[in-house]
Amino acid sequence: MAEQKPAPAKQTGKKIGCLGCSFSLGIFIFIITVLVLFIVSLALGPIGQGFLGIKPPDWLSVPTPHVLLPAEAIFHIGPFAVTNSLITTWLTMVLLVILALTIVKRSKIIPSRAQSAIESVFEWLYNFCKEVAGEKNGRKFFPIITTIILFVLFNGWLSLLPGFGSILAHTEEGSVPLLRGANTDINTPLALALISFVFIEAVGITSGGFHYLKKFMNVGRLGKGFGKLFKGQVKSGLGDMFFGIIDGVVSLIEFISEFFRIISLTFRLFGNMIGGEILVLMFLFLFFVTPIIIPHGLELIFGLIQALIFGFLTLVFASIAATPHEGEGH
Amino acid sequence: MDPETMKLLAAGISMGVGAIGPGIGIGILGMGAMNALGRNPEARGAILTNMMIAIAMAEAVAIYALVIAVILIFVA
Repeated sequence: MAEQKPAPAKQTGKKIGCLGCSFSLGIFIFIITVLVLFIVSLALGPIGQGFLGIKPPDWLSVPTPHVLLPAEAIFHIGPFAVTNSLITTWLTMVLLVILALTIVKRSKIIPSRAQSAIESVFEWLYNFCKEVAGEKNGRKFFPIITTIILFVLFNGWLSLLPGFGSILAHTEEGSVPLLRGANTDINTPLALALISFVFIEAVGITSGGFHYLKKFMNVGRLGKGFGKLFKGQVKSGLGDMFFGIIDGVVSLIEFISEFFRIISLTFRLFGNMIGGEILVLMFLFLFFVTPIIIPHGLELIFGLIQALIFGFLTLVFASIAATPHEGEGH
Repeated sequence: MDPETMKLLAAGISMGVGAIGPGIGIGILGMGAMNALGRNPEARGAILTNMMIAIAMAEAVAIYALVIAVILIFVA
């Protein structure tokens, strides 16, 4: 306590920043620099070329963006083509495994700051699962939901690092980017959607048994209507048949919508990610310096939101499948 | 009109018309969330979380239109 003398305070009105300037002067210089760079990149890019006829030097020109929806193959192992998005998926997997091993090996009872940060993330995800799916089911679903969320999140955020899209590999088709965001290839969202589908059906069948499958083939009422017709109760038989047909059509629609979930999950994730990548490429082509931050920052937000949405939708469908179906008019 | 022009036109129309519905939907969702927040400012966390989820569902429809437009330009 005796060592803590108050430091001699400079009682000036401004805060002292770096380089000896005041804080507001630093902000002013920063804003002026950003504006100048913005105007320069507007003028020297294709917009300036079109309107003003300025010819920029050769090292400043960005090639026309070329987005291929299927991922380009880098090399082949036998008949199996290794594409650039597959390499990125391996990178994400290695990163996640290293992260997990580091946390497990270095965890102490009194956590350090990094460990408590990661623990708070996992606690938030656990509360999220328990809030949506209930106590018991939340604990059961937590591993796979967290895996899906973290995988999609790391795929999306890794693709913002420098090197993704700019490091070129020379294959027989020309120069293709060596690394490409894994969510921009349609195979990754499709695989995750299929995993979610199998998970939801497995939860339904293990917790509901045969009744879960009977929900999709609801012809019980129709059969009862036929039986009543044969026994002679015509009016109630016809009524039951009518409602039985409606039940059957509704169950058919539910059956189709189970499969449609795969397509909707796939295209939601894929569309958001490829839209973000096309936006970044277009901004890179039109301006070459400062405004690129805008779609880059949007990619941060959208990567997080889409990962959470994917996990949340899987969780909601699984918890719907796990609750026993109360009979409506059996 | 040759097919190239028609494809570009179709891409523009699909994205343009396909964004009307989700735009209105997201606006209505925002209005509902603002109303709820005004009535009960303490439930801010739950309201915002559910609003984000509903907005992502509505936005998915616009993303379907975007995918069609991208396919028309780059693949077809």
